Amino acid sequence: MKTIVLSSVLAVLACATLAAHHSAVQFDFGKSTAITGVVKKFIAINPHMQLVLHVKDAKGERDIAFEGHSTNNMYRAGYRDNLIKVGDTITVYVAPLKDGSDGGYVTAALTASGVRFGARSRAELEQERLKAEGQK
Amino acid sequence: MKLEETMQQRPLAASCWQVATSLLACFLLSATEAAAQQPDLTGVWTTYNEPGQAAGGGRGGGPPLPLTDVAKRKIATYRALVEPTGDTPGGFCLGTGMPGSMLGSGGYPMEIHQRPEQIMIVYEAHNEVRRVYLGNRIVPEADRLPGRNGHSSGRWEGNTLVVETTHLVEQVDQRYAHSDRARIVERYHLEKGPKGESVLVADMTMTDPVFYTAPVTAVKKWAQVPNGHLLPYECAEEGWIKHLEELEKKAAGAAKESVR
Repeated sequence: MKTIVLSSVLAVLACATLAAHHSAVQFDFGKSTAITGVVKKFIAINPHMQLVLHVKDAKGERDIAFEGHSTNNMYRAGYRDNLIKVGDTITVYVAPLKDGSDGGYVTAALTASGVRFGARSRAELEQERLKAEGQK
Repeated sequence: MKLEETMQQRPLAASCWQVATSLLACFLLSATEAAAQQPDLTGVWTTYNEPGQAAGGGRGGGPPLPLTDVAKRKIATYRALVEPTGDTPGGFCLGTGMPGSMLGSGGYPMEIHQRPEQIMIVYEAHNEVRRVYLGNRIVPEADRLPGRNGHSSGRWEGNTLVVETTHLVEQVDQRYAHSDRARIVERYHLEKGPKGESVLVADMTMTDPVFYTAPVTAVKKWAQVPNGHLLPYECAEEGWIKHLEELEKKAAGAAKESVR
């Protein structure tokens, strides 16, 4: 799998950018959830990418709408044109909605071709920190 | 007589000419030396983080600002309005405005184009643009219109670019809130980072008799991005697409109704 390793610099910067121009009160950035589905809609725009995934899970089969970091931040974190196309099966890493409903804020994605782009969430960084501490 | 006068005037004219030529040469030489001193800031710059410093350029935090009571009231009123929803100017595709733009612009990079008479600063976020006029390009005070980035006049003091910004509108919607009486002075100079990279240092001082009891200072550092490019940022596109989708839904609903 081709993996784009992202620096914590970018991760925190992206979060800071989010706070700078978007109301994010509904998202829980202390958590990161991986959701896999088939792309029904994807628009790479600023200030927030727009995505609809067709998801099958324990709750059933449905379309879930997401938004995410700006295309510009995602570009600097590995995103390139045509990495995501309608019909692709992808996994997104999202800060879930605080009320537990479907949706969330996409911070990173693993594409059908195996490219991962985006920023690691605070939760992922914390997991890595704990893992590193455990290895000491 | 005329001949005598002419003969007498010629050496005088020649002397004047020599003096004028010398002065011009001195002026050109000093101008050339001054130009040689002035660094070229042209290029793409992104937030610089000191070695070991957490990413984000130290945004926010810091000691409390020396706000006047008037400022405290205005800021409290504004925050009471927006805090329930988390609304921000950026959420409505509005640029940060000074001094927020020069202090980070939401974490996005900026691009500088430098000419002797004008320096353009383009902040990627919201395509926010500042124009710093120098010399004869400086707009007369009576012809300036106030705005969120105000009017910026620049001058060189050796290798330091000094930018003075006035004609700002009151802004309670950014970290360094200010009134329309605010005056911001930025002093830009280049340094070398530990890896030899170019670091643009901006020392900012804001004075505002309405909002602050003392000058407010801040330092912002930018790291040069070699061969960097700014990306397009059409903030309103998201809202426009959503609006079109709403129109499509309404049109589809109307079509269904007409079939019935």
